[in-house]
Amino acid sequence: MGSFQLQKYTMSHRAKILCWVSVAIGVITFLAGLKFQSDRIWFSYLIGYFFTVSLALGGLFFTSFNHVTKAGWSVPVRRIAEAFSGFLPIAVFLTIPLLFGAKKLYLWLDLQAVASDPLLEMKASYLNQGFFHIRLLLFFGLWLFFAWKLVSNSLKQDETGDKNLTVQNVKYSIAFLIVFALSYSLFSIDVLMSLEPHWFSTMFGVYTFAGLFHSFLAMLALFTIGLINNGTYKGIVNENHVHDIAKFMWAFTIFFAYIGFSQYMLIWYANLPEETIFFLHRAHGGWFQVSVALFFVKFLIPFLALAPRAAKRSLCHVRNVALLILASQFLDYFWLIFPNYNHEKVVLPTWEVGVLIGFLGAFVLQAKMFLSKNNTVPVKDPRLDEALHHHV
Amino acid sequence: MAKKTSGVVGFWSDEHKLLDAAKKTYAAGFRHFDSITPFPIHGMDQATGIKSSKIPWVTFFGGLTGATFGATFTYWTSAVNYRLVVGGKPLDFFNALPGYIPIIFECTILFAALSSVAAMFILNKLPKVDPPIIDPDLTCSKFALFIPDTESNYSADKAEEHFRSIGASDVRKVSEF
Repeated sequence: MGSFQLQKYTMSHRAKILCWVSVAIGVITFLAGLKFQSDRIWFSYLIGYFFTVSLALGGLFFTSFNHVTKAGWSVPVRRIAEAFSGFLPIAVFLTIPLLFGAKKLYLWLDLQAVASDPLLEMKASYLNQGFFHIRLLLFFGLWLFFAWKLVSNSLKQDETGDKNLTVQNVKYSIAFLIVFALSYSLFSIDVLMSLEPHWFSTMFGVYTFAGLFHSFLAMLALFTIGLINNGTYKGIVNENHVHDIAKFMWAFTIFFAYIGFSQYMLIWYANLPEETIFFLHRAHGGWFQVSVALFFVKFLIPFLALAPRAAKRSLCHVRNVALLILASQFLDYFWLIFPNYNHEKVVLPTWEVGVLIGFLGAFVLQAKMFLSKNNTVPVKDPRLDEALHHHV
Repeated sequence: MAKKTSGVVGFWSDEHKLLDAAKKTYAAGFRHFDSITPFPIHGMDQATGIKSSKIPWVTFFGGLTGATFGATFTYWTSAVNYRLVVGGKPLDFFNALPGYIPIIFECTILFAALSSVAAMFILNKLPKVDPPIIDPDLTCSKFALFIPDTESNYSADKAEEHFRSIGASDVRKVSEF
């Protein structure tokens, strides 16, 4: 083991208040929305819900693929990813309101509409309420199981230093990666793609995955830089680790553009009415400008901003780009979800932002409380030493 | 083939001593010296004062050239030189852009990659058919610093003395190879 002084992290009083205020803003916006915007508020809820569930799953995904690749550099920041996945149990409770609002979101839950629409009738064996609930149960059951296994093994290793736990986690990680690929694709199809039940895109699962990992990395960068700046990571994590996270962010900026464009081009090229409806709704009434803006804020600006080596090593710069990426991820979900409520014209996403603040407040609060309660690095991980000498 | 260079070479027994010696040599005012080691050493770039490579700029502008070439070439072939409507798609540049992008992308990658490799060859003065051999063991067990005669105010005696003063295990003058 290399020598380092492990600093205990305690969430500051100010951060706690800020998080609770955010949660309160979210709850008040949502309750007010139920009264004044009873249809639209469910779309806003879905944006915040999908955003934070994706961040939490991103944490689990990051943890597991770093176990599978036996990565050394990422060991200290893996604890942050594990903290993110602690949001999944909360997400289960946040799914329950969604089930109540589902009738307002999903046309295929309206049995009369299904009966009068042959296309929906043909899809009814998959898109029906019973199977929808079973799938959600199954997905969350699997995610919670793997989150519980991977995180509790890692925390147990902090105490015992048992190297077998790392070996065990590799096995769980391999299984989770397969489960994750299938379940997250189907989850995206169920809760987002089916908002427009006639529409289908074979690339939808990988598109939402690109967004998941892009936004997760931005959040990871923010937490890492925060812990470096307040001295918790002194002597453990430095700009070399941030450089690697920023490289990931840069790579997935390109990946997002690649997947986003591929999805568009396949639909543009085939020109099938059920498919093109998705982009037609996003090409008129101001949505065209949003689509173009998405290209700039989610691809071109981060791409250029993170290209130089020095940019990826500057904590301040990486933090700013990470904030931009998170904002662009919100724009992406807004663009995906909101036209299903109203594609005639773009409105300011006021309710959406209000609800999202609540979700993010809960997410950050949970993650910071996790990091306060546990060690901020897996102190007895067999590969920690490699991370301490990481140099790029 | 290459211009003949003479200089002074000093040997150290391991990479930590060499890194230390490189820092001292830089501090003593030498700027054109180089390190010769069997494997890359972290921190040596900074110690010898090597500036970051110019190749990324070549890659960037190579890519931009490729993108411009790809865009104009696809447009020219399919909408100007031999107008051909395929699948009812429009031909004006903006509306037909989705169909052009894969080719623009490929051209960007091709130009960026080839120009980077070419720039690497030129900047490294490759191919070198007769590389000078200072000591055959430098590729397996020895670590050395080399001060060439292109150093400003070069004097072989001064360089030799400098190497001895910072603890080189062996110092040799090499000339005309």
